Amino acid sequence: MQAVKRVFVIGLDSAPPELLFDKLLNELPNIKKLLESSIYGPMKSCIPAITIPAWIVMATGKTPGELGLYGFRHRKKGTYNDIWIAHSLMIKEKAVWDYIGEAGKKSILIGIPPSYPPKSINGYLVSCFITPDTSVNYTYPKSLKKEIENLVGEYIFDVIFRKDNRDEVKELIWKMTKKRFEIIRYLIQKKEWDYFQFVEIGLDRVHHAFWKYFDENHHLHEPNNKYKDVIPEYYKLLDKEIGKTLELLDLDETAIVLVSDHGIKAMNGAFAINQWLIDEGLLKIKNPEILKSGKQVRFEELQVDWSKTIAWAWGGYYARIFLNVKGREPKGIIKPKEYYKVRDEIAEMIKGIKGSNGEKWDTKVFYPEEIYPETKGDKPDIIVYLDNLNWRAAGTLGYNNPYLLENDIGPDDAVHSEYGIFSLYVPGMKESKKITLTIYDFAPTILKLFGIETNLKGKSIFSS
Amino acid sequence: MSEKKEFVSVSIPVELYKTIEKRIKDTEFTSVSEYVTYVLKEVLESLDEEDKEEVFTEEEEKKVKERLRALGYLD
Repeated sequence: MQAVKRVFVIGLDSAPPELLFDKLLNELPNIKKLLESSIYGPMKSCIPAITIPAWIVMATGKTPGELGLYGFRHRKKGTYNDIWIAHSLMIKEKAVWDYIGEAGKKSILIGIPPSYPPKSINGYLVSCFITPDTSVNYTYPKSLKKEIENLVGEYIFDVIFRKDNRDEVKELIWKMTKKRFEIIRYLIQKKEWDYFQFVEIGLDRVHHAFWKYFDENHHLHEPNNKYKDVIPEYYKLLDKEIGKTLELLDLDETAIVLVSDHGIKAMNGAFAINQWLIDEGLLKIKNPEILKSGKQVRFEELQVDWSKTIAWAWGGYYARIFLNVKGREPKGIIKPKEYYKVRDEIAEMIKGIKGSNGEKWDTKVFYPEEIYPETKGDKPDIIVYLDNLNWRAAGTLGYNNPYLLENDIGPDDAVHSEYGIFSLYVPGMKESKKITLTIYDFAPTILKLFGIETNLKGKSIFSS
Repeated sequence: MSEKKEFVSVSIPVELYKTIEKRIKDTEFTSVSEYVTYVLKEVLESLDEEDKEEVFTEEEEKKVKERLRALGYLD
């Protein structure tokens, strides 16, 4: 396989193969045409299948354990729940753009999480949605910020979609996406680059905000509702913007990649996991009356009796379970030599959680040291996919029972699925070919396109 | 009562040893080992500090946490 001159990567957060490569493909002429001469198929995400760490796992080819990055937040050492938010300076492993930067090649990176604060690279960078707001410096070099604002006015990193005003959410997602593509096309034409990658977060937001209106099988779906076409319309917007963008590229010298960090699917419900831990006697609180108030309770409002607590949880699109280990936690009670036994017992209890009608759940539990070659940083004791990610984990409490059929904090009807998408067009390709790969294969594949070999755990798709 | 410290030997090139010996002459460091230990501790601590570098101000952190909560990533 000959090295290519340039690589252009279109990152579509949460794009699932079921929609992009199948159900909606006939409505997306530009993507369809690209796939006709691409190698493409489902790409298995990392564990956990979530935006941070998945995009940087993809770019570095390293596991969350090697990165020390297990999600958006991590505990400050020596505390129970003082957290720090993931940021770019935590990333110590080389990403694709670092490897090629050493070979003198330039990169343009837009919105790849985590990229705030902006790190210096050989090229240009616009940070991602963990940027506090547009008042800070969010570009490398600093001067790029003015160029962006001259072009599109105020830049939009992200849209808060858990609002009842769906029309406003839709409008903002469209506005954000159009601005981002305008910047992308400007940078393609005005700056020197060999590698270009952006992540469009709007797709994830439109999925979460409008899934129940679109998915006829969702338990909250109402037929012929006002917003049933919003998701397909957004895909068409993306296709149109991608088409306009591809026109600026020389397909005789540029490889084109479409990729996502994970997929998306209907949320069956949210399970109040801390409430369950209290019911099981594993989490003890001094103010149990707060749970009978009829109001939703946040974990911070609990007066946890740490001297009697075995375990507690963090919710989100997957759950993290922490054990209260003596010598490790401030008021730990589990003796270190009993750690593995206690952890196994709790894992079995979690796997045994049944659905609200007693139905069997396909819950997955993972021990970090078993799935990563190294476990740096604040690793959780157990990673949990409730009913294989069909159920979110809600950290809030105060419910009659832990099965919530709607999300606990604002409208959100989708969860992440394990398989995202990957497609690669290389100059000269005339036919399509199907493939299945993992997120760890992305970096070796891109680097191979630049003629760079690595010892990463994944394999370039050209190596078989 | 002072703690009994344990030490291990580490090898460094002779040239480096001689450079350090020259450097610490007329300083408070009484041996190359003492100087090397001091420098390595400083380096390791600064690497730790890099990780704890304040990326967000208190106000910015609060804003980002609220946003991440509103996006469903935190609860």
